[in-house]
Amino acid sequence: MFTIKVLLLTALLTLSACGNTLDDLNPSSDDLRPTVIANSIGSQPGQKAADFSAPATNGTTFKLSDYLVGGTFSSDAVVFYFTMWCPICISHTDHLLFNIIPQFQGRGTTTYVLVDYVSGFIASTTVSEAVNGYAGSIFTTIADENQTILSQLNGAMGKTIVIDNNGIVQMNEDFRTGDNLIHTLNRILP
Amino acid sequence: MISPFSKAVFLVGAALLMPTASFAASCCGGGSGGSLVLPKFRDLSVGATIAYEKYDGFWDKDGLWHQDPEGSDLSQTRLSLGVAKRINDNWQISLSTPFVWNRNQYANNTFNTSGIGDSTIGILYEAFDDITCTWVLDTWEDYKPAMYFGATLTVPTGISPYDDVKNNFDITGRGFYRLDIKTSFEKTVYPWNATVALNYGKYFERSINREYGVYVAPYKKNLGDRFSGSASLGYTYFISSGDTLTITGAYAYMTEDKATIDGLVDETSGISKKSFSGTAAWANEDKSLVYKLSYAYTPHYHNWGANFPTTSSLSLGVNYVYD
Repeated sequence: MFTIKVLLLTALLTLSACGNTLDDLNPSSDDLRPTVIANSIGSQPGQKAADFSAPATNGTTFKLSDYLVGGTFSSDAVVFYFTMWCPICISHTDHLLFNIIPQFQGRGTTTYVLVDYVSGFIASTTVSEAVNGYAGSIFTTIADENQTILSQLNGAMGKTIVIDNNGIVQMNEDFRTGDNLIHTLNRILP
Repeated sequence: MISPFSKAVFLVGAALLMPTASFAASCCGGGSGGSLVLPKFRDLSVGATIAYEKYDGFWDKDGLWHQDPEGSDLSQTRLSLGVAKRINDNWQISLSTPFVWNRNQYANNTFNTSGIGDSTIGILYEAFDDITCTWVLDTWEDYKPAMYFGATLTVPTGISPYDDVKNNFDITGRGFYRLDIKTSFEKTVYPWNATVALNYGKYFERSINREYGVYVAPYKKNLGDRFSGSASLGYTYFISSGDTLTITGAYAYMTEDKATIDGLVDETSGISKKSFSGTAAWANEDKSLVYKLSYAYTPHYHNWGANFPTTSSLSLGVNYVYD
């Protein structure tokens, strides 16, 4: 019995040292989102995304401001999906490609961007895009070589971010079922 | 034990979804089982297993196999510690906690993280009163298998996407409680032994108000029910000193239904995997000390899994049983 007590005590102390994990033991349903100042620079809904650029697999450089009002490729919305070419990433991307994008064809212009934040080389991104079947697709695939976009937009695996043509972040969350993306695009597309 | 999902969420996911760490020991002692089981009439068992799991591609939702990104080298190492304690003649309880190291190397980026994983608390009922291992099958009694019925609660002690983490590379757990009901039938007719195990798990819905360290509008999520089954066949060699060496081959299948978010089905979720494993377990004469070496493998064929990483793993465990 002494051994059991020692082990349980050790486990408790270990968990106590990992305060980070205690949130899962007792999940909160409180809305703790901080208030953001509209149009301030940031990555949260209501904030304005700072400009950035990254190499794309089509040989060009993707620059966010080019896709906003006044830009060369002005779009009504830009959708970013952070991928690491994992199973769930491919599942999300396929769902986006085959189930969501077709719903918005003919409704303004939307640019869909896959952000490869793990490879670190545009050459590797190009290979991953091809072997997973997205070469030549509607997606613009970019390599976040130094993870600056990941940091700037608070990205992570499966994070989906929608930016309108004024550069305002309209959505920044996990892909989940894709329904929130549909709602967001329905709201901002003509 | 442990490995949704780095690939971290999925690297972790792989370990989380596989059977608990391969601890040695079985009802007869000496070991062939996949989880920490206290031999009949023994009082206490402690075990440690270190496992190295290498990731090599994945299956998409339709079961098609894909290779990992070019230049990547993804792996996870887990050290699992466990204890099982007898509480009366037919009941035993167990506790297991892993520590996880994720190593994710891509073409030009490397992410190394570590942390405690999800823990399990188990209770097991032995539906037999005597050791059922036998040398000959003379009477009907000799045919009786060792039948176990039990439950395991997975406790989200790991670091999940819903904790205060920077990104998915920090993940070591799935963040959900799960209750598994399990049963296994084990029969040893020396030198052969066979085991069939079935497991059904149900997650508990939870609230989420944060994703990868960023607070979001609260919502509720639940993972899909999980079923796993395995069958194994083993052969025991008796060494002159009284020690035994048991070689076991096993086939395992695991599937998990689609998740729901605020009641809506997440069509991008749901996973499955089939795998083979081989184990060599060495036990001393009184079966108090068991060493176990296991290798698990899944072929890179289409339809051997879905929405899940392809992995192979090597584990080494040691178990000590007290009277």
